[in-house]
Amino acid sequence: MKTLTTSRPPALTNAAPPPSRRGRRPARATAVWILVGPYTLFLALFGLAPAGYALWTSFVDNGSFSGGRDWAAVFHDYRLGDAAAHVTTYLLLWLPILLLMVLSLAFTLHARPGRTTSTLQLVYYLPGAVTGSAAALLWLFMVSPDTSPFSPLLRLMDIESATDALSGGNLIAVLTVMGVAVHAGGWIVVLYGALNALPKDVLEAAQVDGASAWRTMWHVKLPMVRTYVAFVLISSFASGSQVFVEPTVLSTSAPGQISPTWSVNQLAYVYATQDGDFGKAAALSLAMLAVGVLAAWIVITRTHMYATHPSDSR
Amino acid sequence: MTALSRGARALFLLGAAVFFGLPLLWLLLAPTRTADDLTTGSPLGFGSLGNVGDAWSHLTSYNDGEITLWIGNSILYAAASVALALALCVPAGYALAKHAFAGRRAVLTLSIVTMILPPAALVLPLYLEMSAINLTGTVWSVILPLSFYPFGVYLAFLHFQANLPDSLLDAGRVDGASELRLFWSVALPLARPAVALIAFFGFVRCWTDFFLPFVMLSDDRTFTLQLGLMSLLQSTGAVNNSSGFADLDIHQPEAALAGLVACAPLLIGFVLAQRFLRTGLLAGAEKG
Repeated sequence: MKTLTTSRPPALTNAAPPPSRRGRRPARATAVWILVGPYTLFLALFGLAPAGYALWTSFVDNGSFSGGRDWAAVFHDYRLGDAAAHVTTYLLLWLPILLLMVLSLAFTLHARPGRTTSTLQLVYYLPGAVTGSAAALLWLFMVSPDTSPFSPLLRLMDIESATDALSGGNLIAVLTVMGVAVHAGGWIVVLYGALNALPKDVLEAAQVDGASAWRTMWHVKLPMVRTYVAFVLISSFASGSQVFVEPTVLSTSAPGQISPTWSVNQLAYVYATQDGDFGKAAALSLAMLAVGVLAAWIVITRTHMYATHPSDSR
Repeated sequence: MTALSRGARALFLLGAAVFFGLPLLWLLLAPTRTADDLTTGSPLGFGSLGNVGDAWSHLTSYNDGEITLWIGNSILYAAASVALALALCVPAGYALAKHAFAGRRAVLTLSIVTMILPPAALVLPLYLEMSAINLTGTVWSVILPLSFYPFGVYLAFLHFQANLPDSLLDAGRVDGASELRLFWSVALPLARPAVALIAFFGFVRCWTDFFLPFVMLSDDRTFTLQLGLMSLLQSTGAVNNSSGFADLDIHQPEAALAGLVACAPLLIGFVLAQRFLRTGLLAGAEKG
């Protein structure tokens, strides 16, 4: 469908050479680096330099090379196995539900845009705006059947108290619901924005050809926002495997119920803040990064996310 | 669209609205109620506006109304970081989407790597970096790291890649426009929805960020709202009754009000950004 939008005749640049042909290439290269240079500087200073330092400290203790001691200590930590199992279960539940919610709501909203659409987007975004202590208060009350507006649902799940909700198999369900509520809204906005920016003539063409709303969504809109879906997937996989906020928020409001090292990222924070062992925190963070980068690499190569021209994606 | 599918659509959207909206409705009503009523009353009961006033005066009684100072700090940090982030992200995203240059893939790849790097690994090195140039404790130690925003670069990159036809740029080149001129006069005006989106998400990130200012700032007069409220609420045990001092009247309704104060700017920002998102400025851009 991209051929519909890019109507560039291949001969155009040859047919009408600009007057200043000489020195054009260097000028273009200079322009590119003026555009991308300042950001690259910040990338080096506030992204790569700290990341490089983290890598350094995960191998070096007190100025001397410690080999893989920090890494070995992390991988032999008895808490890591449990945390990794928790995070894997969470990802398996949360990621598909989140993706399904985001895609179905964004597409349903976009099928018939109107004034209610913007109101609904705001409503969907609301839980994501509540952070910190207010989030702890909010979610503790939300999972307590006595105070929650969702109490019929909680009782349906055999949850009689907040303690019930946060123990056993219920905990992962509560964390999933909270994770979806907090993260879905932002992605719905991103995806809806992407759909809204699509060239109108292509969508009109599909309509003229008699495509149903469902076919238009599946065969026209979805392929056109493919890179956005890939981006949602990469970011959500990374943030899900580093889940921190949801278990932390619930455990601050009900101390003793949820282990402070429930997730892998929480374990990294315990290393950094309680043990003061930045080498181990860095090693574990980099291990999490490796998992995220692997997932990102798979998604990027599968979806040709980095193509400069639509034709490259074939 | 048949009546059946229209009904199913409305039901689906409405069900989702209840799921996402009820927690906030509860939070909105919570400051109007007393702490006792919150645990014993009906889930969505309304207390009185007088209770809201009381809760607010309890919050402001902390350190002579330090809360207003925190609000000002948060606005300053967020405005400066978002402005700087936009100036860095949007041109970079454009160049990455529309120009094939040496190092392009490296910048894209390294951006995504730093974007998914857990903050636990980044914040301590950032602190050491800032303290090496004597910036810790200053506003710059918060503003500069926050204005590095790879997520925003990706949003700009994806937008230009999908929505800015090469034919439009080539037409400009034929007319003799320089590459920088093309960005400024062709690409940027068409990208207003994307710029609004990046500004909004950048603002959300700066406004809600906790760990970076927590590590960088030590004087509570330089705190952000998130940081100040968190220390206020935690030291008074509003959320967790087992800790804190009882001499300040900070309990659940105050915590709920504090949460509303902290998220109100995000909701206002959302409404402002949405105005731009709805206009669909790209419509017909290519036909002209």
